[in-house]
Amino acid sequence: MDAHLLHWILLLPLGSAAACGLLLRRRGAAAGILSIATAFAVAGLALAVLAGLAPGQTLAWQAEIGRLGGVPIRVGYLLDGHAALMLFVVTFVGAWIHLFSWGYMRDDGARGRFFGGLSLFMFAILGIVLADGLLMTFAFWELVGFCSYLLISHYFDTDFAPPAANKAFIANRVGDLGFILGIAMCLATYGAADFASLKAAAAAKPAPALLGFLLLCGFIGKSAQFPLHVWLTDAMAGPTPVSALIHAATMVAAGVFLMARVDFLLAPEVLQLCLWSGAAMAALAGLCALAQTDIKKSLAYSTLAHLGVMGAALGLGRADLALLHMAMHAFFKATLFLGAGSVIHGCHHGQDMLRMGGLASRMRLTFAAFLAATLSNCALPFLAGWYSKDAILEAAHGSSIGAFALLALAAVATCLYSARMIRLVFLGEARSEEARAAHESPWTMTLPLVVLGLGYSIIAGTYLGLPAAAVHVLPKPMAFHLGAASAVGLAALLLGLGALRFYGRSSGDALRDAAPGAYRALERRWMDDAYGWWIDRVQQPAIEVLAFLDLALVNGLAGKVLAGGIPALLGAASRRLFHAGSVRANAAWFTAGAALIAALLLGAL
Amino acid sequence: MTVLALPAGSLLDAAVFAPLAAGALLLLAGRRLETAWQVIAANLAALPALLQLGFLLSEGRLGGASPLGGFLLEPLGAALFGMTVLVGAAALHRALRQLGQVELPHLYLGLILILWSGTLGAFASPLSTPSGVLAAYVYHEFALIPTFVLTLFWGGDGRRSAAMQMAVTLTLGAMVGLAGLFLCDFQPSHAEAPAIGLILLGFGTLVSLFPFHSWAAPVYSAAPSPVAMLHAGALKKFGLAVIAAFGVGRLGPWSDVLLWLALGNTVLLGAVCLAQRDLKQLVSWSSVAHMGPIFLGLWVADRTGQPDGLVAAAVLMTAHGLAAAALFALSNDVRARAGTYRLDELGGLAGRAPVLAALFIAATMASIGLPGFGNFWGELGVFLSLRDQSLWIQAAAASTVVLSAVYMLRATASTFHGPLRPELAAAESRGDLGWADRLGPLALLAASLVLGCYPAIVTRLFPQ
Repeated sequence: MDAHLLHWILLLPLGSAAACGLLLRRRGAAAGILSIATAFAVAGLALAVLAGLAPGQTLAWQAEIGRLGGVPIRVGYLLDGHAALMLFVVTFVGAWIHLFSWGYMRDDGARGRFFGGLSLFMFAILGIVLADGLLMTFAFWELVGFCSYLLISHYFDTDFAPPAANKAFIANRVGDLGFILGIAMCLATYGAADFASLKAAAAAKPAPALLGFLLLCGFIGKSAQFPLHVWLTDAMAGPTPVSALIHAATMVAAGVFLMARVDFLLAPEVLQLCLWSGAAMAALAGLCALAQTDIKKSLAYSTLAHLGVMGAALGLGRADLALLHMAMHAFFKATLFLGAGSVIHGCHHGQDMLRMGGLASRMRLTFAAFLAATLSNCALPFLAGWYSKDAILEAAHGSSIGAFALLALAAVATCLYSARMIRLVFLGEARSEEARAAHESPWTMTLPLVVLGLGYSIIAGTYLGLPAAAVHVLPKPMAFHLGAASAVGLAALLLGLGALRFYGRSSGDALRDAAPGAYRALERRWMDDAYGWWIDRVQQPAIEVLAFLDLALVNGLAGKVLAGGIPALLGAASRRLFHAGSVRANAAWFTAGAALIAALLLGAL
Repeated sequence: MTVLALPAGSLLDAAVFAPLAAGALLLLAGRRLETAWQVIAANLAALPALLQLGFLLSEGRLGGASPLGGFLLEPLGAALFGMTVLVGAAALHRALRQLGQVELPHLYLGLILILWSGTLGAFASPLSTPSGVLAAYVYHEFALIPTFVLTLFWGGDGRRSAAMQMAVTLTLGAMVGLAGLFLCDFQPSHAEAPAIGLILLGFGTLVSLFPFHSWAAPVYSAAPSPVAMLHAGALKKFGLAVIAAFGVGRLGPWSDVLLWLALGNTVLLGAVCLAQRDLKQLVSWSSVAHMGPIFLGLWVADRTGQPDGLVAAAVLMTAHGLAAAALFALSNDVRARAGTYRLDELGGLAGRAPVLAALFIAATMASIGLPGFGNFWGELGVFLSLRDQSLWIQAAAASTVVLSAVYMLRATASTFHGPLRPELAAAESRGDLGWADRLGPLALLAASLVLGCYPAIVTRLFPQ
């Protein structure tokens, strides 16, 4: 098998994006059809490639597109086991979310821009998946950030979407600053930046801890880890399919994928940091999800928590488990977001869970898929989410009891916020006119829910339905046995059942009624407040002072007095000719002087 | 290369002198020419330059010396020459679109053609021979005169003080630089510390090296947009070309000075950009701040003796010219629709002018180094060329990726995003960009895209 199919996989979405952006801007339907057809074609091609790939076989290709002195710029592919798994997840989940978007965005006036953005995103994320080195990864990494910006700001005429888009882009760039330094350090230490050479070189000479920390910065930005996690919840300002595809299933998981690709460069200190920050993030974000009334924001906190779980798995040195969880999470979290999208669509774009309720009977398919994905999210044994989460808990138990405790807390929080969501949205009485008038979504929206929710969220742990090339990198599915992890999981599920009753007690939010202080503490965005304080109280005043100093000292003193003083002295003799106001005379003097100099110079030649 | 049996290099002569001839014609006899003939003359004048660019790109090599002007494309000069062809063509196109609105249009057009010709001549003259250096210097001075006159007579708010400050500062800078060139007989191999110091400070001033940058932002804000495009995009790079030719490998005691001043551009002036409240001021300031990484590329090429920094700086100079020119043109289009550059009076223009918004955002992304555009490889290449330096230098240099993202995205959002401001909704306003107005920015951005996807078009000019 050669690499030419990979060219098509990468370039078809780019072609679709270009066509949507340049030609089909005002033809939303055509743009949608093109973009969706491309996504399914790419998924088909990806399956064809994976089917032809034997376990352990890798596919590589590269070409040089320039050379910056000693640094060759290459585009290249490295399709190994990890990339094969990621390729399947991205193209398969991506295709269904494209289809979902058709129904969800039907009444949107800017579908051309939207579908163009989705296609561009597919191009960018596939570039990360296929890249064979840090340089190409970084190029597509930045492009993915731009697509995220573009799609978050889809509703650009609102006052909340543009700041959210800027925040996402800038937070990512802060992480990328470290990533760039990490790439430079790779080049300085090993003289190469492609994964194969790096791996060989790192085997001979272990990477310094600093290198791992710098690369980790990229992961922290892209995967919204503490302290750069603040952008992800705001990113929910984008259309819901975007939240599902980019801000849950694929882009934020790309950070995990990158870390798995360069795990041989992560020193033990880096892994420790990754473990503790991931586990703490998982617990904290899970609890914060309890204090959100916006269904998408609550899910965003859930995503943060799962990214923390993946980070913890990386920190345990188990990149395979992190990737397994990445895949399982992609299926059930995409379903949850699409389900939320279906609910939002049914409730005429209301997102407040306190104004929903009783939707189970009005949106049966949506409810069934959402419930399946929720149970998977809660790690009900033998559903997809259980296989990865239970294994990570088990690994943590064998390695660090503190991290295990945090992850156990995260598991409990997951069951609590999941039960709350089911209770508030689908059960009980409808709490608003919109909820009473809710209707099931069209088939373009429910079919993806059925495939991803009733299908993959349930069975993906035992049967991914994809070729051996992608599956062989994953740990073998384990049988149920009652260890510490399973005990925690079952206890969490029981607590979830309790929460289902607890949240039935109140017409508002039961936790807010019972413990308003705790609710407010979870609701408040401490890091955003801290950043806000820094920007308003420190950064901006400092910049104003700097700008003033530049104006007063550099411009005033150096620029005007020094630079202006000398010619003024020279001109004092001929003040009448040089006097201010006579612009023509000045211009004439200037021209004459320059001509004189030129003549002198030419004469000297 | 032989074209129509003319001596090799004739096309290069034509590329530089055709705009000059057309400019002279318009200055001397323009009043008697009908507008249609003026337009035809300007278009004809652009043809040889565009052809030369085509040959440069398709053949990927530099060609021989020209018989008339003694022009010879060298690696960095060729990259800048090619960029100047595009920026100049876009500026000329824009000037032609303005003909109905400016006073004395034949003079306006003629001066822009001369500015373009001088810039092309400065980059086509070889910096490896003394006579070439002298010629390049003269062409540069020759191009500064129309820059000054155009700003003074056809500029916007604050044009007088800006033009005077520019004239004084740049004349002083050029004279200091010239003194340095005289000291070393116009030969890099003869250059010693005093000469290098004078060259660095003199020509650095032309490139708005910190702290000799104060002239730049007011001029670019006040200058007519074709002039800002040509000067900020292209002509200004002449100082960099001289510093690259004379300074790299010979900075000696000046190395640390250049490092600190370049970091001043990158970090301090990058931060000053955050304080701007006016779109065109911001674009001008960011253009000044973006000189920092270019200087750093030259600095590290000197420090390490490796070509990495120089090649990356060449890519960045080329790409910066394209993106800055596009941004200057498009900010002018914003003003034409909103009647203001003030960010707090702008807002929500994307709904009314989606194509303008898309092009502006694309140019913004190009200027902050989004992959796909040439600036990406330029900036990243500079950061990577710093890989053997201390981490704090690398971090300070790379801080521009955060700073530039913050100020450019903030400005973009204040201009195009959010609800359309009531004042703008009520104002008589032109709609979106028409096809003719899209052409220039589209061509510049497309060129940057080509450079970003295939950086070899610049990097292959350099010996590997």
